[in-house]
Amino acid sequence: MPTYNLYMGCSVPANYPNYEAATLKVAEKLGMELQYMEGVACCGSPNLRAIDYFGWLLVNARTLAIGEKNGHDIVTPCNGCFAALKDVWYHLKHNEEDLKKVNEELKKSGLELKCNVRVRHVVEAMYTDIGIVAIKERITKPLDGVRIAIHYGCHLLRPKDVTEFTPEVLDELLRATGATVVEYPLWKQCCGATVLPVNEDLAVRLAHDKLKSMKDAEAEFAMVVCPACGNQLDLQQFGIKESYGVEFNLPVLFYPQILALAMGMSEDEVGLGMNRVPADPILCHFTSE
Amino acid sequence: MAETDDKTGPPVTLIEPIDMTKLDPNFRKEIQNMPDGDEVNACFACSTCTAACPIANQWKYKPHQLIRMILLGMREEVLSSREIWECLTCFQCQERCPQGVRVTDIIFDLRDLASEEGKIPDAVKFLAKELLEKGQLYVVTADWEREDLDLEPEVPGLSTDEFKEILKRTRTGKIAGGE
Repeated sequence: MPTYNLYMGCSVPANYPNYEAATLKVAEKLGMELQYMEGVACCGSPNLRAIDYFGWLLVNARTLAIGEKNGHDIVTPCNGCFAALKDVWYHLKHNEEDLKKVNEELKKSGLELKCNVRVRHVVEAMYTDIGIVAIKERITKPLDGVRIAIHYGCHLLRPKDVTEFTPEVLDELLRATGATVVEYPLWKQCCGATVLPVNEDLAVRLAHDKLKSMKDAEAEFAMVVCPACGNQLDLQQFGIKESYGVEFNLPVLFYPQILALAMGMSEDEVGLGMNRVPADPILCHFTSE
Repeated sequence: MAETDDKTGPPVTLIEPIDMTKLDPNFRKEIQNMPDGDEVNACFACSTCTAACPIANQWKYKPHQLIRMILLGMREEVLSSREIWECLTCFQCQERCPQGVRVTDIIFDLRDLASEEGKIPDAVKFLAKELLEKGQLYVVTADWEREDLDLEPEVPGLSTDEFKEILKRTRTGKIAGGE
């Protein structure tokens, strides 16, 4: 059974325990052993990278070093954590001087980073290590071709030399559940989460445009794999209603929730009631084989 | 085609003249020496980055102008601009740059330089304080939701002490404590 270091971060457990629970349950069914990492710190978010580059390197290098100890890959369900860990890994892999500086600090707590560890988004591990064929075999209640628009998330896809992730991974994972992947013009556009602290109006506008583009392409649901994107597209629909007077009423689901339901798990098991825009209409689209 | 009646003003295609005395010739080198600045000189101002930017419409300085300003040495204007903080960091500019300039990463580097000089928006300064106080960005408040889903009430394995300890000694400590 493949074993992984699970880096949960702080946003998923605090804001979207439904995403956390669905991820754990799906992984278990797929035969992936996810072990919560011990004694790891928050990634600090892109804001920490912006204001304190070295501090950001240090906290994330520490997490990488902890993961490196047992040799298992680090997996995370959060695009923000993913980007931080991948970015820091990429930088230190290519910058000996900074790696040395970081290791001088890590040494004080008995750690050392050699940059041998691999960081991955947890859904990519499902895709690569378990595979679409094996995932399909587990599906007992396939979706009826319902139209779902994927929001991939900027920090999952870009910069590609750092993230090593391609959008097809999510397309294929979603299709495996029986859903139809909706193509829409703004598929690459940012959800606006990162600009929330400094310009809320702009953040709301971006979420509005994104959701409108999905709706115009006749998406019935949206799918995300990141708590920040989830927040912007799901909860922010209430902000959009206030600012624009528009009600999209487009339910947003995390991929492991969709997969878990297609594997026959119940709506309570995946915390469907916690999705902000009521997501239970998805239940009408699962067929029984 | 409409004709212009006013022939006295400068042609509209010209931008404001640059005050040469304010230019910092070392700025370009400074950026080049930062983690992502290697390729900055390769910019040929095609403005593909600006075409890719979903919010450039509302900016005084467009992404390609910011890069150009770095190359010209307009340090003060760049580091004081609101643009570097409003960037979404969506990396669409960087993805499309035909010259391999790491535009978004460079904007992160610019924020880092601005932060060194204390030029940080209040909202971001507030986040720095939060990070230092809590040792994490988000704290679990609704533990009953977690318990309903058979999850541990606290996040397993997440430690906040080391995080605080590290950031107290790096620049975050200065930013958050320097009131």
